[in-house]
Amino acid sequence: MGETTTSFLPVFVTLFPMLMTLAIYYVQKESAKLRNKLSVITSIITFIAVAAMYPQIIRGDILVFELFEIIPEMGFVGTFRVDILSFCLALISSFVWMLATIYSIDYMSHEHAQNRYYPTLIFTLGACLGIFVAGDFFTLFIFFELMSVISYVLVVHEETEEALKAGYKYIIMTIIGGLALLLGVINTFELAGTVSLEHTGMITTASGLAFATFIAYIIGFGMKAGMFPLHVWLPDAHPVAPAPASALLSGIMLKTGAYGLFRVFFNVFNVEFLQETNWIFVVTVLAVITILLGSAVAITQYDLKRRLAYSSIGQMGYVLLGMSLFTEAAILGAIFHIFSHAFMKGCLFICAGAIIVKTGKRDVRELGGIGIKMPVTMIAFTTASLAMIGIPPLNGFLSKWNLALGALDGGAPFYVVVLLISSLMNGLYYLPIIINAFFGEEVLHQEIKADDVPFKMLLSIVVLAVCCLIFGVSPINLPFDLSRMATDLLIGGGI
Amino acid sequence: MTFINVIHAHSTVLLIVSFLLFSFLMPILERWKNSWCATMAVAAHVLAFVFIGNLSWRVFTEGTIHYELGGWSPPWGIEFVVDYLALFMLITISTVSFLILIFGTVDLTHELKPKVLGLYYTLYLLLVGAMMGLAVTNDFFNMFVFMEIAAISACGIISVKSDRECVEASFKYLMLSAVGTGCVLLSVALLYMIGGHLNFAFAAAAIQDVAHIYPNNILVALALFSVGFIVKAALFPLHVWLPDAPSSAPSPSSAILSGLVIKIYTVVYLKLLYKVFPIELFDLLPVFDMILILSALSIFFGSIFAIVQEDIKRMLAFSSIAQIGYVFLGIGLANSTGLTGGLLHIFNHAMMKSMLFLSAGAIIYCTGIRKIDDLKGIGLKMPVVMGAFTIGAMAMVGIPTTNGFISKLYLALGTLDANKHFYLAIILISSFLNCLYYFPIVINAFFGESEEEDGEEEIQVKKLPLRMSVPLIILGAGCMIFGIFPKYILVIIERAVEMIL
Amino acid sequence: MIDFADVAMRLFENMYYLVSVILFVIGFHTMLTHSNLIKKVIGMNIMDTAIFLFFVSTGYVQGGVAPIIEPGVEQAYINPLPTALILTGIVVAVSVTAFALSLVVKIYEHYGTLDAEEIMRIRSTES
Repeated sequence: MGETTTSFLPVFVTLFPMLMTLAIYYVQKESAKLRNKLSVITSIITFIAVAAMYPQIIRGDILVFELFEIIPEMGFVGTFRVDILSFCLALISSFVWMLATIYSIDYMSHEHAQNRYYPTLIFTLGACLGIFVAGDFFTLFIFFELMSVISYVLVVHEETEEALKAGYKYIIMTIIGGLALLLGVINTFELAGTVSLEHTGMITTASGLAFATFIAYIIGFGMKAGMFPLHVWLPDAHPVAPAPASALLSGIMLKTGAYGLFRVFFNVFNVEFLQETNWIFVVTVLAVITILLGSAVAITQYDLKRRLAYSSIGQMGYVLLGMSLFTEAAILGAIFHIFSHAFMKGCLFICAGAIIVKTGKRDVRELGGIGIKMPVTMIAFTTASLAMIGIPPLNGFLSKWNLALGALDGGAPFYVVVLLISSLMNGLYYLPIIINAFFGEEVLHQEIKADDVPFKMLLSIVVLAVCCLIFGVSPINLPFDLSRMATDLLIGGGI
Repeated sequence: MTFINVIHAHSTVLLIVSFLLFSFLMPILERWKNSWCATMAVAAHVLAFVFIGNLSWRVFTEGTIHYELGGWSPPWGIEFVVDYLALFMLITISTVSFLILIFGTVDLTHELKPKVLGLYYTLYLLLVGAMMGLAVTNDFFNMFVFMEIAAISACGIISVKSDRECVEASFKYLMLSAVGTGCVLLSVALLYMIGGHLNFAFAAAAIQDVAHIYPNNILVALALFSVGFIVKAALFPLHVWLPDAPSSAPSPSSAILSGLVIKIYTVVYLKLLYKVFPIELFDLLPVFDMILILSALSIFFGSIFAIVQEDIKRMLAFSSIAQIGYVFLGIGLANSTGLTGGLLHIFNHAMMKSMLFLSAGAIIYCTGIRKIDDLKGIGLKMPVVMGAFTIGAMAMVGIPTTNGFISKLYLALGTLDANKHFYLAIILISSFLNCLYYFPIVINAFFGESEEEDGEEEIQVKKLPLRMSVPLIILGAGCMIFGIFPKYILVIIERAVEMIL
Repeated sequence: MIDFADVAMRLFENMYYLVSVILFVIGFHTMLTHSNLIKKVIGMNIMDTAIFLFFVSTGYVQGGVAPIIEPGVEQAYINPLPTALILTGIVVAVSVTAFALSLVVKIYEHYGTLDAEEIMRIRSTES
């Protein structure tokens, strides 16, 4: 067990992007090029700053920092605290964010209102990292709300009627979720007298209020994580956003909900209590429904991005299932699936963006023969799809393997069946796209040169696809090691 | 140095007298040098800042100030008391009314005929002076007189535009406020009958002594006070005057009515409840529960009515009814957390609502649009105004880092402290309802499709003068700053709450 | 069995209060139920008068005289404070009445009627 060290890095990774937002906002009046460069540099520096925490984190240290006091006598202070779980999430977020920002530069170059897009993108990065590095639920809630509200701008970026409608749904659901979360935080404070993440098992006596708190957290974070039946905003909101933004919404922002639930299960409550009272069963059931529903509905969708969005719902179900089973392997699987899904879904969405930009087609039935025209993009797409289905040796397989092991450890083989069924369904909706793309009849009469996707877009696509490949069963597997450490931390109760 | 000594010794009364003096100077100035009126009104506020600065320094160093008017000690003389609660109200009133005034110096030249401009400042200063008087008064009859001054001048600044909606709204307000002050005066008479004192402190002691002999007198007095102040503070179901009044009046009038006037009556009511009436009485009559029920109704129905409004100022006025419910909720909870939340909401809502009204005023000034549906795409043309509106809307909903969140948080914790979970649900539901009527405006303004009316008339936007944008920016920044660092205002409020309970 | 004579006697002794309450109710009723604006103003005045009567009578002492104190004369004086206060109250009431009447004049100019319901109808048909 490492010691607690004060470090400015957690604050830096949050506030630096937020401050740079201002700089980007003012620079864009001068030159668009400088704005793009500044955005990319900001995201890279943020990633480096997150990565710089690695040596201390790997020793098991916990980084803390107390920034400001909001209402000190009530325990509501702006504290920052990074342990291994926070670090995992922060690392993957800043990494994917960096790639998405690089991708944006070429993708967005022909879009309108870029002056609004970049500051929002970078600000959301800061808020999103803020959720992961927050040291108490109160700070976490503040960043959670900031991220949710600001990312509205990303959702409605296209400003079409469809986007505005989806955006309205999104903002309403977000506010409901935020209020539920606030209820949870207030109740926790009332019951436990503290909301700091230093403590575990803040609430361990069953009462009506405690159950209300639990449900409030489930609604608040579950809303974000796309849990059934609170997922209704997700399939509308994710496809309408620009491709890099949808990659981030699906790949990263959904994970904030999962992260929050981890913190709720292990910090606010604890494993014994939740199993004793059987409250956790609520989450398990919802997770199973989420998995099956997400995968099943995805089959019926023909809009490429919409299909991916439903697939996200299904995949988040894995994470929720893993964390609700409470066995070591299952939690490991859940955390590792956060990594995997960020790589896979990030890759799929930006590939979809590239395809849509180049061909103008969104319908999966019209993508015949595209594999020959855009080989690199489609190979990346194929890799990520196969990972989604869970074909070894890709990373999706590893997380599913661990989830299945966890289910067996927990003496519940039923969940293994659920996993298998859903993998089958994943295959049903991903494989036709791939087969059609490579072997299908060419329906595209448009002339496109082979892979004239700009370099910066291609770079992000390839990097993410390679991540899917090498973080599978390769011997050097940083995400897997980190997940294992995080699992030890959670199971050991040493948060 | 005698001058400074005079200020030091008499700043309590000079504060109010200077407002009254300047307001009576206005009609003279108006005939002589019309252009000076606005400057003099601002000067009165600057002078007030000096007095309030002196007062706050003394309150923080020496404690509560008891000022005896004309050297007559109570119970014979009139007494002004500046404690933390009064100081808090003085600071709120002076700051917000100063910013509204700065905004008004431009906006009013556009909305009013030049003939009545000077008179408007008379009424405005009278209103501010009367509100400050209500904050510091410690005497029943003084309270009554200040209430009447405030009522008449408030009616004046509504009807000053003299188009028919304004006049009608003003008449409605005048009638209802006559009912309110009538009730208050009657209950003063009832308390005087048994106590024989008009000074709050002495009356409280006398009433305490005789409470068991004449419980009915006190109960009737309490009921009448409650009715009177609830009418004045526009709590549901006696809110009927409020939506008409601010929605038709000039924007600075709406801002000060919704932002400050209805708040000062809540504070006076609070003062009476805790300072004058004996505690045992509240066992006899569950007045706090009644306040809670009324405030819950007010919060709920205010928001519901606001959703269906088409006129932006009318919507804001209905939202005020909901927000005043929060303040009463804080009073009704009667514990320190809840009361802190209620008082904090007075300050926060004064800033938010005046900012929202001023930005609505700026929209009307620049484009002439009042209908919510017509505001599509206005955000990019008026970034400062709609930025302020967005901050205000977020504060109303209670998004963190805005001040509205902090006061809601305190109120929510207060409901839990008082073990009244139902009201926590009310707070959360109303936050959601607020979002339902504020966010569509913001969304429309920034993301509305503007290509729809290509050939049709483009919205003509006048340039926003500096004197209108600066108050908006200051208020917007204030909403954010007090959302992140609320402790600077909590310093005063917590001491005030400590003193009250 | 209630002794009606006793009740009547007590009511008679507190006649000022009784009358002022009756006046208050009359004023209040007039103000709220009549749609004629002038009648509303009159109702407001009756209500105010009732309150003034009530307030002044609180200071009245049976058999008291005006408090002009002559040396050497022992006498019951009435309490002058309510009377003094009500003087202010009357001034306030007069100014409120004046203001209300001026508003009524304005309303009449705009609508051509003094009936509140009529005004409501005009507004609803026009908008």
